Amino acid sequence: MSSRRRFLSNSALGLSGIALGAMLHRDGVARDGAWSPPNGRPHFAPQANSVIWLFMNGGVSQMESFDPKPMLCKYAGKTISETPFADVQDPEKLAIERLVVPDGNGNQRNELFPLQVGFRKRGESGIEVSDWFPHVGANVDKLAIVRSLWTTDSNHGAQTQFHTGRHQNDGDFPTLGGWVHFGLGSLNDNLPSFVSIGRREYWNRRDGAYLGPAHDAVPLRIDPQNPLDYSQPQREFTAAEQQIGKTLIDRLNAIREDAYPQDAAMQARIASYELAFRMQHSIPDVVDFSDETAETQSLYGIDQPHCRDFGLQLLAARRMVERGVRFVQIQHGGGGAGAWDAHGGLKRNHTQNALAVDQPIGGLLTDLDRRGLLDQTLVVFATEFGRTPGSQGSDGRDHHIFGFSVWLAGGGLKRGVVHGATDEIGFHAVEHRHYVTDIHATLLHQLGLDSRRLEIPGRKRLDIDHGEPIHEIIA
Amino acid sequence: MSLLVVVATAAAQATAVDYGAQIKPLLKARCYACHGSLKQEGGLRLDTAALLIAGGDSGSAVSLEHVNDSLILERVAATDPDQRMPPPHEGEPLTAEQIGRLRGWIAAGAPAPADESPEADPSAHWSFQPIVRPPVPRLDSGSANHPIDAFIAQQHRLRGLQPQPSAPRLALLRRLAIDLTGLPPSLEELEAFRDDDRGDWYRRAVEQWLADPRHGERWGRHWMDVWRYSDWWGLGEQLRFSQKHIWHWRDWIIESLNDDTPYDEMIRLMLAADELHPVDPDKLAATGYLARNFTLFNRPQWMDETVEHVSKGLLGLTMNCARCHDHKYDPIEQTDYYRMRAFFEPYHVRLDVLPDQADLNVDGLPRVFDALPDEPTYLYHRGDETQPDRSTVIAPGVPRLAAFPPLSISAVELPVAAWQPARQPWVLETHIAAAEARLAAAKDKSLAAAELAAVRARAAAMRVSWSDEPTAAVGAARGAAIAAERDVAVARAGQAVAQAEQALAEADDQGRPAAAQRLQDAQTALAEAQRQAAAEIQPSDTYQPLIGARWTPTRFGFSGQDDPELKFPPTSTGRRSALARWITDPRHPLTARVAVNHIWMRHMGAPLVPTVFDFGRNGKPPALPELLDWLAAEFIESGWSMKHLHRLIVTSEAYRRGSSLRGAEQNLALDPDNLYWWRRTPGRMESQVIRDSLIALAGRLDNQFGGPPVPPDGQSDSLRRSLYFFHSNNDRNQFLTVFDEALVTECYRREQSVVPQQALALANSGLAHDAAADVARRLATDDDAGLIRRAWMLVLGIDPNPQELAASQQALDHWRASGRPAQAPAHLVWALFNHNDFVTIR
Repeated sequence: MSSRRRFLSNSALGLSGIALGAMLHRDGVARDGAWSPPNGRPHFAPQANSVIWLFMNGGVSQMESFDPKPMLCKYAGKTISETPFADVQDPEKLAIERLVVPDGNGNQRNELFPLQVGFRKRGESGIEVSDWFPHVGANVDKLAIVRSLWTTDSNHGAQTQFHTGRHQNDGDFPTLGGWVHFGLGSLNDNLPSFVSIGRREYWNRRDGAYLGPAHDAVPLRIDPQNPLDYSQPQREFTAAEQQIGKTLIDRLNAIREDAYPQDAAMQARIASYELAFRMQHSIPDVVDFSDETAETQSLYGIDQPHCRDFGLQLLAARRMVERGVRFVQIQHGGGGAGAWDAHGGLKRNHTQNALAVDQPIGGLLTDLDRRGLLDQTLVVFATEFGRTPGSQGSDGRDHHIFGFSVWLAGGGLKRGVVHGATDEIGFHAVEHRHYVTDIHATLLHQLGLDSRRLEIPGRKRLDIDHGEPIHEIIA
Repeated sequence: MSLLVVVATAAAQATAVDYGAQIKPLLKARCYACHGSLKQEGGLRLDTAALLIAGGDSGSAVSLEHVNDSLILERVAATDPDQRMPPPHEGEPLTAEQIGRLRGWIAAGAPAPADESPEADPSAHWSFQPIVRPPVPRLDSGSANHPIDAFIAQQHRLRGLQPQPSAPRLALLRRLAIDLTGLPPSLEELEAFRDDDRGDWYRRAVEQWLADPRHGERWGRHWMDVWRYSDWWGLGEQLRFSQKHIWHWRDWIIESLNDDTPYDEMIRLMLAADELHPVDPDKLAATGYLARNFTLFNRPQWMDETVEHVSKGLLGLTMNCARCHDHKYDPIEQTDYYRMRAFFEPYHVRLDVLPDQADLNVDGLPRVFDALPDEPTYLYHRGDETQPDRSTVIAPGVPRLAAFPPLSISAVELPVAAWQPARQPWVLETHIAAAEARLAAAKDKSLAAAELAAVRARAAAMRVSWSDEPTAAVGAARGAAIAAERDVAVARAGQAVAQAEQALAEADDQGRPAAAQRLQDAQTALAEAQRQAAAEIQPSDTYQPLIGARWTPTRFGFSGQDDPELKFPPTSTGRRSALARWITDPRHPLTARVAVNHIWMRHMGAPLVPTVFDFGRNGKPPALPELLDWLAAEFIESGWSMKHLHRLIVTSEAYRRGSSLRGAEQNLALDPDNLYWWRRTPGRMESQVIRDSLIALAGRLDNQFGGPPVPPDGQSDSLRRSLYFFHSNNDRNQFLTVFDEALVTECYRREQSVVPQQALALANSGLAHDAAADVARRLATDDDAGLIRRAWMLVLGIDPNPQELAASQQALDHWRASGRPAQAPAHLVWALFNHNDFVTIR
């Protein structure tokens, strides 16, 4: 039995069948057909095999990216209560907010702030995308844009919330990538199935949470010059010697499982060793871009300093999904509250950040598609919340949880569609409102996973947190 | 009007306003924060219908007879912003529909369920209650002789849990040694205790390792996590955070733990040694705790971090949440945040000259002092530092949740050597010795000799000025010091002339004119110095005093330069010592509980209170509150002895239990999170323990205690314990970082990740390979079985079973056949380093 199979059969927290049976009985949560740990195979036919998850830390302005609101220009400088849209501030509509870190941000901003960038219709679909995202815009016919997200934490704990689906105050929960890793077997045993790239300031916890450390993302930095620390023995140690040692370690750990059965950390460590020995070769290979053509490299913007870093990450991401990595989670602008957190100087902030990501993302979409990979790869562009229609200070926007945009592409979704809408000033999601876990549910659905069947008995997620797939954008 | 009321009433009755569904949520969302259990503005609470009807200072909030005269309706519908509720800064007014709903409900007689209960009183929260030692449960049978076990066994009986058996002796010894010293036991120790058949072998092991000086290093590192130890960092050479030489505080922590300095005394010294022991450098080092918060550019950030981490680390309170407005969960007002800040408002940091080192760039003692006794603290409107409310100066004070003794703050008159630090007895001698050493090392003796003479003269002048000598003697000494300094200037100028002459002699044709010019300039300067030396000394002339301390300059002014120098005042405000007295008062409900929880977590693998820095209402309560309180009471009554607490915890059965889940299906089903300690929670070695263990097992650990940190470029070859490595926000050791190194910004609990990079570090690092070779050399024997057994015992603390022996033997044979037979034992040790149970604390 491979270590992964053994691991899965022991389930996440090392609950044996007997213990599970007892818990099922005690909690009365048994559903039709007893719960069983995932076997690594999808529950139904998947439309996608892999996910590239692009998360913009800090909060991207919905109005100035994928949800243009000309009314902001028309009523610029007016307070919201002076406009026909005064009812957006009905306290009942605002009551979804659950603040975690009150710090002077996350407040109502009443004076409407005009759009800081132009828009144009793009592609055959004619969907409007702002001029800060020309390369993404050139690929708009591949996107399914959801303009009606909402969340509840009006500070950056919303980053955690977007990944776990639970409010920060509720405790530590597995992230979406952790669930996918839990549910699906690896397609390539030489690489981690779940990779994290970039800093994660607000939720630098273990992705697996109660699923166990084996479901944490493996953090990688993408540096072709120095892809992996300690990737080769620093003293003479032949491959044959290493192999004898590895065989011994495996045997010894396996023997130890008799005395220490169901030890989640040991299972995770065994799996991590398995992977580590393979990563010594596979990771340098993934980030060795010498076999990529110059055209491809420049497609991702690797030849341009302003977007080189993100371009390297996205090119590596493509090479990973090509090799079967399930979930590549890429954080842009992590650290502090997040690079996109434009409380002041929004124009300069978003111009710079968009320059860093737009061309690489456009390149990724183009490249995936021309290689036929987009059909089986889901690309997600998300952020923890949007920004206020009103101005903060003279030239910024505050955090805004009531309506914001994300987009998805590929992986069996419709192409070139817009779903959901905010009101005329981009304040509330008003049509097809979606809490963040609807994105989770959509991904899981496309990956062929039933989130109800992944759920660990005794560890409930709330109904709201499960989310529902957004069927309207599924092809 | 009456018609309207009738209509409204009729409408209300028609739609039957449901209090629970339509009124209470509205009040909760918009009103409770100020009119609920946390606050009762105007004496009014709205968290039950009965309280609402009872009303506040202005009477009932409702009038059932004259509905529209109801105070609550008047206030929510008011157009005057001063009258309107909720007030404008709390958000938008209620909508007409909401007001109508409220009116309808009142008109219907304000019906509500009879059993409605108010919000719980925040001051009744468990952790705000005094610590009362609970009686140790008396169990009718069983062997729970230890108080800790009695509390736990009581829960086991209640819940049907069966504790796991004790860990095997070797595993227990390894666990204990690592826990108490941060290093695995030696082979000799393991063999001695393993074969010890006396009944008290375990107690003797405990005492041995508690008394080991390495105990202070082990637990010092734990407290360095909690207290945010960091070496300095900045941009390039510019110091921006923490302090140079902050390691004196680290050494103080280690020594204090080894001496079992009481926890309360440690806290008092860290917060206020400069007021309590103003001229004792051994104790002043403790204030590195506050000196570490130095922030070059930003005083609000400095103060913010200080308030945040004094309250999180020492009190388990998230006072930082009250910077912008009243705390949303705990009875902490926004003003309380600023009251707490006011304790720290006057303090700044300086470096004191220590015996034997006159150059503060080389060494010195970072310590705090009250530089700005009159600096006002202002509340920032909504936490915005650009909007201070200058109408009110906030005085130091403590939140009411634990305001048991009246806080008394009285200024502290400092001994003169505290504020004229050159008068510390060693300072002048240290400067003279340094000048003597420079003379001895100098090639050109004349300048160095003049400098030594000047230092001596300055020292003499300073001594005379502090004495009762007559004015004439003071003046004469002063004159001598000034003259000596002038002689230094002449000597220096003379040296410059000599250098210029030599440069001219060596110059080529092209360089000669410029060199000649430089010589001429130097000669002019020498003549000027000689002229000044000959001049009469004027009353306005001064000499440069020798310094005993240097203020660490700040740059709050954004001028591109240091802020104007701060003096050392002769009095200290006494604020921080008052705060320290409050925090360490045995009546304080939080201090001992929080400390006990930190200590328990590090012994037992998990805390009693899961939210280790938040004991407030948003935290998670302990599963075993009586045990926590008993330990806290015991801790206080033992004189806050940490060694007493260590001893108590590690001698419990709960501590000694095995970590295996074998046969524990029922326990797992009943208590999957081991909240009731039916087994030992296994854990992973912290980053430092992994590295230190490798080197210690190799027999190469450098036992040098304390001193300046090992710089980053010296770490890969260093054999010192990892806590001595330079470690800051910017500089982290590569190997340690792979294993979840402490973040200097906040690390109340270490992460225990499992990632492939850790496998690579242990499998491939030179550190692990070299250690394996060394261990193999130490264990060298002709007898494979003996080698294998000893290697297992030393590296893993396991007596291998036949399967394990056979597997090890087989691998040895394979390695021997693979080309480098001599390396086979080292490879076996390498494999054991990579065994799961090397990094695991079983």
